[in-house]
Amino acid sequence: MSTNWLEVQYKDVIAALVLILIVFIAPLAISDRFYLNLMFLVFLFAGLSSAWNLLGGYAGQFSLGHTAFFGIGAYTSTLFYNYAGLTPWIGMLVGVMISMTLAYLISYSVFRLRGVFFAMATVAMGETVRVLLLWGRSKIDIPYGLSIDYKPAISNMIFSEPRTYATLAGLFMLLVALVCYLLTNSRVGYYLRALRDNEDAAQSVGIDLRRYKLIAFLMSAGFTSVGGTLMAQYVLYIEPSSVFNVTISIDLALMTIMGGIGTILGPLIGALITIPLQEFLKDWLSPFGVGAHLVVYAAILILIVMLLPEGVVGAWRNFRIKAIKGDPRA
Amino acid sequence: MLEVKNVERRFGGLIAVNQVSMHVAQHEIVALIGPNGAGKTTLFNLIAGLIPVDQGEIILNGKSILGLGSARICRQGLARTFQIPQLFTSMTVLDSVMVGALTRTASIEDARRIAQKVLEQVGLHDRPHIKSATLTISGKKRLEIARALATQPHMVLLDEVMAGLNFSEVNKLLELIRRLRDDGMTVLLVEHNIEAVLNIADRIVVLDQGVKIADGAPRDVLSQDNVVTAYLGSEHVLA
Repeated sequence: MSTNWLEVQYKDVIAALVLILIVFIAPLAISDRFYLNLMFLVFLFAGLSSAWNLLGGYAGQFSLGHTAFFGIGAYTSTLFYNYAGLTPWIGMLVGVMISMTLAYLISYSVFRLRGVFFAMATVAMGETVRVLLLWGRSKIDIPYGLSIDYKPAISNMIFSEPRTYATLAGLFMLLVALVCYLLTNSRVGYYLRALRDNEDAAQSVGIDLRRYKLIAFLMSAGFTSVGGTLMAQYVLYIEPSSVFNVTISIDLALMTIMGGIGTILGPLIGALITIPLQEFLKDWLSPFGVGAHLVVYAAILILIVMLLPEGVVGAWRNFRIKAIKGDPRA
Repeated sequence: MLEVKNVERRFGGLIAVNQVSMHVAQHEIVALIGPNGAGKTTLFNLIAGLIPVDQGEIILNGKSILGLGSARICRQGLARTFQIPQLFTSMTVLDSVMVGALTRTASIEDARRIAQKVLEQVGLHDRPHIKSATLTISGKKRLEIARALATQPHMVLLDEVMAGLNFSEVNKLLELIRRLRDDGMTVLLVEHNIEAVLNIADRIVVLDQGVKIADGAPRDVLSQDNVVTAYLGSEHVLA
């Protein structure tokens, strides 16, 4: 990593400009539906992985329950829109509030746990929300799957142009990345890295562990919820098994780790690698039987994680240090 | 400054710290010594709030700090180091110390300035950008001290900071501790290195099997029979 403050800022500005240009220009340059869909998913999952990274990467609290917040975001905006006519823009914010409330309540029990135990407890959280929804559905009579009527309008967050969705997801990604960036250069960011590295030492210098883990958890849950609403408005159909699927939680962790956990660009790179890989493999390997693409996908992931245990960003950083100083530990 | 009153801590059937009372006055350097397993580090952790006290009272600057937890105790002005360095391993030396400095300021720039000053104090200013995990043992111990000092405490607890250091490193550290006191710091240290303790402490408190057996000026305490017995066995006491 560079040591010169001015130089760091200069590089940051370039990176930010490149990202902004990609978000605004790439959707305009492409008209193929397949690629626009891919772009939407990459941007959306880049934003979601960055949100996961706030808790899982910076604060070191390995959550596998983020699908709960994703699903809450999708369901809240959709239910309010379908049954109360509330615009998804507001419904999205209601979803954020609900997700943050859940995160706040659950934090009392899960923050007592460390490592795998924390991960297991969050898996349970995700499942519990899904089961509660299924149970609640039988009480208040809503269908298993919810369709959103296709009525394109900005106020409905429904667009006739697929590229508008891609841009919207891109803005979401930029927002989360910006928050991550501001965080790394703030007291909260320093404190999160400190408590991730060593909780006893962090406490010994005055860091209130619960408070700072909670800040990360609330932000992470809130942004994940926003992503859920965006997905619902894009697909225009949601059901418990799609938006409360535990694979969403796993994918977010996976993308972040592949790209570089605890870094700003890591989750973005992770999403850029895994989502196209998944889609292309599905395309190419579907003649060989259902699920064939998953086998190859899994094999490739294992290979990448074995070759780049610190993710793409970590590998790049090590390479740079080696190239400059000739000593990987310097 | 610091007052410990009848403090007790049990681990199951073992009484690690048994009805210990002691005090540290402002600007004083007090050394806590005793054989292995005497309860020194336990007492330290009780004072720093890392583990809860079963019985007794601990007062810092006239206010009870019982049950506050180590984070709040640090913010009250009592900082500590760990016997086995507990570092922020993914961070550079400068960043680690900045974390300490951020206890008193929310500004990253201010924290960096404070951290650089403290690193100069402990002699780590020539390598602020290396990973803290790659430091030598002496470097790690000094980093622990720097991180504690960066929180701008009134008092520091130093847990065996000289263990594993060579002669000249010990001397440098003694000089640093003396300078800290001259600048108004109060110091409580746990130490095995008797030579160093004699050199620097105003007063010595001796623990043996959880009980305080001596408290006084270094030369006086070290010649007490029960202290010699605790360290060397009764046959070494000069009749």
